[in-house]
Amino acid sequence: MRLHPLTSLAAAGSTAIMTTAAASLPLSLAVIAAVAGLSLAGGVERRMLAAAAGILVPLVASLFFLHGLFFPEGSVVLAHWGPARVTVEGLQFALERSAQLSAAVLVLLLCSFTISVPDLVAALSARGVHARFAFVLASTLTLLPAITTRLARIRQAQEARGLVITRGVFRRMAAFRWQAVPLVLSLVEEAGTRAAALEARGFGATGPRTSYREVTDPPFQRRLRMVLLLAAAAAVALRLWQPTAGA
Amino acid sequence: MSSPSLTLESPTPAAARKRRLLEILGALAIAGTYIYLVLNQPADITGGPGSASALIALSGFLVGAVLLVVAVLPTLPVSTLVLIPVALVLNIVLGQFVGSTLVPFYLDAIGTVLIAVLAGPAAGAATGALSSIVWSFFNPTVLPFAAGAALIGCLAGLAARHGLFRRFYLAPVAGFLTGIIGGVVSAPIAAFVFGGTSGLATGAIVSAFRSMGDSLLAAITKQALISDPMDKAIVFTLVAVLVYALPRRTRLQFPFVRRHRVLTGQAAGQSAGAATGQGS
Amino acid sequence: MAERSTPALAAGIETFVYPGETEPVLAGVELSLAAGTLTGVLGGSGSGKSTLGRLLAGWLLPGAGGALGGFLDLGGTRLLFTGKAADPRINPGSWGRVVGFVPQDSAAALSTVRETVAEELAFGLENAGVERAVMADAVRRTASLIGLAHLLDKAPETLSGGQLRRLAIGCAVISGPAVLVMDEPFASLDRAGAESLADLVRDLVKGGTAVVVLSQRVDGLLLDADTWLLLTGGTIAVTGTPAEVTAAGVLKAAGVISPRPAPGSSSVPPVPCCPDPSDPVLAAQVPVDAVPSPPALELRNVSFTYGRSKRHRFFRTGAAAAAPVLHGLSLSVGKGEIVAVTGANGAGKSTLLRHLNGLLQPTAGSVLVNGRTIGGQPAGRVSGEVGLLFQQPRDQLFERTVEREVRFGLDRHRRRPAAHGGGTGRHDGAEATAVHSALAAVGLENHSGRHPAELPASHQRLLALATVLAGRPSVLALDEPTVALDGHGLATLNSVVRSAAAEGTAVVVVTHDLEYARSIAHRLVHLDSGRLLPLAV
Repeated sequence: MRLHPLTSLAAAGSTAIMTTAAASLPLSLAVIAAVAGLSLAGGVERRMLAAAAGILVPLVASLFFLHGLFFPEGSVVLAHWGPARVTVEGLQFALERSAQLSAAVLVLLLCSFTISVPDLVAALSARGVHARFAFVLASTLTLLPAITTRLARIRQAQEARGLVITRGVFRRMAAFRWQAVPLVLSLVEEAGTRAAALEARGFGATGPRTSYREVTDPPFQRRLRMVLLLAAAAAVALRLWQPTAGA
Repeated sequence: MSSPSLTLESPTPAAARKRRLLEILGALAIAGTYIYLVLNQPADITGGPGSASALIALSGFLVGAVLLVVAVLPTLPVSTLVLIPVALVLNIVLGQFVGSTLVPFYLDAIGTVLIAVLAGPAAGAATGALSSIVWSFFNPTVLPFAAGAALIGCLAGLAARHGLFRRFYLAPVAGFLTGIIGGVVSAPIAAFVFGGTSGLATGAIVSAFRSMGDSLLAAITKQALISDPMDKAIVFTLVAVLVYALPRRTRLQFPFVRRHRVLTGQAAGQSAGAATGQGS
Repeated sequence: MAERSTPALAAGIETFVYPGETEPVLAGVELSLAAGTLTGVLGGSGSGKSTLGRLLAGWLLPGAGGALGGFLDLGGTRLLFTGKAADPRINPGSWGRVVGFVPQDSAAALSTVRETVAEELAFGLENAGVERAVMADAVRRTASLIGLAHLLDKAPETLSGGQLRRLAIGCAVISGPAVLVMDEPFASLDRAGAESLADLVRDLVKGGTAVVVLSQRVDGLLLDADTWLLLTGGTIAVTGTPAEVTAAGVLKAAGVISPRPAPGSSSVPPVPCCPDPSDPVLAAQVPVDAVPSPPALELRNVSFTYGRSKRHRFFRTGAAAAAPVLHGLSLSVGKGEIVAVTGANGAGKSTLLRHLNGLLQPTAGSVLVNGRTIGGQPAGRVSGEVGLLFQQPRDQLFERTVEREVRFGLDRHRRRPAAHGGGTGRHDGAEATAVHSALAAVGLENHSGRHPAELPASHQRLLALATVLAGRPSVLALDEPTVALDGHGLATLNSVVRSAAAEGTAVVVVTHDLEYARSIAHRLVHLDSGRLLPLAV
């Protein structure tokens, strides 16, 4: 069964919220395992691994460095060098927080890796703010690779004029200006053209819109989304009702 | 297909009032969340990762940011709206480029501040929030900072409106002050949602304060006060360099720039251009 | 056929002034477009054509975009403007349904948020709330009109330049506008692309659309226009039938490029006349008075393949149409020789050019400048000897004034000790002279204080040329130099290229314009699927 983009978004979001609310190590680990399984099944494990490593490795390392060595609130000291004290509480705090953050990050990443952006845009393009938000999201994703290649083209054009970037903060700031000015200028000018084109094609209109792309949204998934959102709200309410339970 | 009139009516005041209400609600949600967190933080840090504060920080700041986006986005003219993706791309691409040459800063707000200077505080705030929301598509950890990014955009727009970009040396000062406010407001997110910072360099600074016995929030706030003002001062300076390098006709196509005389340079931008000269 | 019926669009522009400026860009322009007619708005670079076109099409809105005094009349509805706040505000959406516009930069007209050509075409209908069945029908009809029916499921960013322009036209005409305005639709298209585009426009005119083509060049389609309207300095100089305007004899002075009366030129097929595979080196035909010395530029068996392009994980890749590849190219260009490299769009001409200054390093073979190989040197170092002018002049321009722009390159070369022949130990005075003479050579000496980005497109190109010339390179390489140049610019370019060659500079011109190549070059070579073949001049 193909998931409607809003369904995957709701599933990922509510899982992230519930994991954060529950704050239980086993649940976090279970979510991590589930995401790993799903990404294997979906064939996105390599891209997931690369992206997740880029985000989570520094985050987790930072957490363990920070709380593993410096946790003034900790009482059970395992070792200490000078001002640094390794405490059980600190390590546990770092572990729990790492697992919980990893679970949330991974489940959201899985969502963005498997979702079809055009479908999402079509689903969001109901009217008003949705259409505009969908535009910002999709346009950014389209422009990013184009601009990376354009920056490379500008660099080439300037190298052909004898630009050799040298060391030193001021020379680099100058180099920043040389490359950023043509880039920003062309982007701003193009945006002006695009704005006129979009307005001429009725993008500024406030009336109802239709969508050329068909995104099927079975009633079952609509109900599922409601259930997921209610569950997330319930988890938050429960946590706020009993702020110290769990952990 | 009906054929609507070839001309536009003036916008109704009722719609404007509704938007204003949403804006105020968004700002209140962010401010209220921050005050609540600062007042309640001492009991919280050892309460475990799932503590209520993380949820309150997340939901309060996110709801505030989303309300701001909902309030501002429909009011923006299309010419500003199409600049937002450009700003987000600049945040990402220039942030990476500069980040690779000048190591200790993030510089991921160049596009946001650029829009704020060209199109005003509301557009800046929406761009900041949207930047975090769209960027979270590749890196979900930036999502909770949406409110802080919106604040940076809003403050940059206010600085531009009040003429702080008319003198080249005032831009870094405005950036420094913006960085202080932005850093302080974002610190609870780092403390309660992440329990630390996402980078090793910043983590080391937090560790230093922790080893002196500071609470986590205090340590992260102090770290933010070290990194953020410098970072934003550089970003504001770079944006000033950029906007003064833009040709006059391009700058003046923005009503906000014309109405509030954001930039100097009546005479073909030469005098203002000279002020940016230290870059080269 | 234009009868006394109401015109589809009429305009009377007393003045139009951009915000913050005092000089009007348009003054005293009156025109009236009847259904089913073709109008050519002609003028040199900076004559106000684009401003006029965008104003007519509602892309430049009176009020926010500038102060308009005069009227616009669309299908009988007349809007009066006085340049004050009480003026009517045009609704660009409903205006755009009646007047379509195709900008010069077609890629910028795309929404950037639609996955396929079909969805891009449907974007305007979606915004108008048209039902899906009706939409699908309109998309099919428009796609077959613009000849993209076989590409409906492609991503828009994978289209070629000519296809992109067709798509932009399709987006403009899908709502069935009464008027279509096109800004330089034929620029940088090769002959085949231009001809099929002309057929498309003829179909639209036949179908009753009033078509306006803005151009600085009169050939092909525009020769069949009903009316020509010549703009100079923002006012109408002459208007009438093509014969009347031609008879007035002011086209050339206005900077409009007229067709060269080249006998039989159109009948020459753009294919090599006599490829001789047994001759591996296309030797330099050294001009008679040259002394024997190593050629200024020599390519020895250069082969090149693009490495596997980096895939972006999240984003749709703007995958290049087909990575151009070079197969064992050999070419030598003597001092003072002008060689033109021709070839269709996408033949790999730009790839070849990037090898000349080390921006791309050949995967096999070598490139020699003045007898020394440039392999392994960064392009920034080679730039003193090889001046390369890119297709997009704006990528190469980044300073605040025209004068600083030209001086920039000189700074660089002076700092490097091993300056090439010409002048060693240049001092500030000499530098100022060099800047001035480079600007004077391209006719920009009176613009030295202006911002490069505010110059008209033709002047931007010439400025980029001046920055290259100022360094007095021994090899001058030009990528599609004629694109965006008006008549004056073209004449300047020709004199600059000829005088550089007369001083001993080897010139390589890459162009899709065979006529231009024949007019300027001593020798022609044709690049076809990565191989060089000689071509008779």
